[in-house]
Amino acid sequence: MASSKAARMGEEVWKTRTEKINLEVLTLTYGTLVSQLTHDLRDPATNIPDYAAINTELDRMGHSIGLRLIEDFLAKTSSAGPAPCNNFRETAEMIAKVGFKIFLNVTPRVENWDKEGRSFGLVFEEMPVSEFVELPDDGRAQEELWFLNLFCGVVKGALEMVQMQVKAEWVSDVLRGDDTTEMRVTLIRYIEDEMPPDDE
Amino acid sequence: MPLLTTTKQYTNNALQNNPLHIALFPATGPEGQTQERNRLEYSFMLNSSLDIFEARMPSKTIGHDFGLLHALDERIALYGWLTNTGVKLVVVVDMEGRTAPSPEAAKIAILGLRNSDLTPAFQALQTAYIRLLRNPFYVPDDHDPRTNRNRGSMEITSPRYIKEVERIGKAWYPGITAI
Repeated sequence: MASSKAARMGEEVWKTRTEKINLEVLTLTYGTLVSQLTHDLRDPATNIPDYAAINTELDRMGHSIGLRLIEDFLAKTSSAGPAPCNNFRETAEMIAKVGFKIFLNVTPRVENWDKEGRSFGLVFEEMPVSEFVELPDDGRAQEELWFLNLFCGVVKGALEMVQMQVKAEWVSDVLRGDDTTEMRVTLIRYIEDEMPPDDE
Repeated sequence: MPLLTTTKQYTNNALQNNPLHIALFPATGPEGQTQERNRLEYSFMLNSSLDIFEARMPSKTIGHDFGLLHALDERIALYGWLTNTGVKLVVVVDMEGRTAPSPEAAKIAILGLRNSDLTPAFQALQTAYIRLLRNPFYVPDDHDPRTNRNRGSMEITSPRYIKEVERIGKAWYPGITAI
């Protein structure tokens, strides 16, 4: 039930309260960002791209985006009446059906829960951002680069602002030749409200 | 049966034309046997056609299609196409006849090629090239002798693009409307 409610909310917000831009602008801009990073972050000795550093950098950028994006997310969904999620399963539904819907207009499937309900996979049927992309054919990019790593950072950053520390990482990507594109999100802990240190 | 033999793309500088990709398709004999083509020979042929682009540019009307550039002999003819960014596409057609599959088919004569016969091939090639350009990891400057700093091979290496050109070359025949 929660699932269809989230889907409806996502649809509603996306239709009425989201500013839209041409998809290709976003796709090409993101592609250029990653492509530029492969130029900038190179091993100085061998002059080959350091894909591990690129993944980290994308993750860091995404994290900063997520910290701010959650604000926008809450503002847009507030009048649709989002009660705080009661459990992690609801959180997963919200991320997939509302979060990704209103910012990217894609709805990943929530799958592969682990037994304790602390970890799930987001399976993307389509990913507009990687539509035109062919990873560089240098024998390493296919194994080492996560082209979409920014989105892991976004999920991490956004959830951090609502008191959830999670681990998010890609486990498969069609660009690498896998059958699916799947992001694994694992809850580490709920962050307790910490009072700021007394500055009296 | 004319065969599409070679396609070639060049970057845009008139003085520093640089082959981006050459695809050769083998000649097909009467019994279906194939014979590979001489890469160097066709490379010369393609290079020699480039001046024709420059020569015709001043009087060129709007459009990409340069039509027949040059008929080399009774068999070989070169056709040209120029994109907005100055990339030249050249298709070489070998008009060597093929044994007709049946006596009836032999009576229907194919008299040369019309200019429009190659339009679908060029359009498909251009679409493939645009698709290549949309890949953020393909940097056109790395394939241009004026801007490329590492002096390696400047040919296109994308497997998807090479496969697509291969497919277009195999699929094309005179009179096809879309590839």
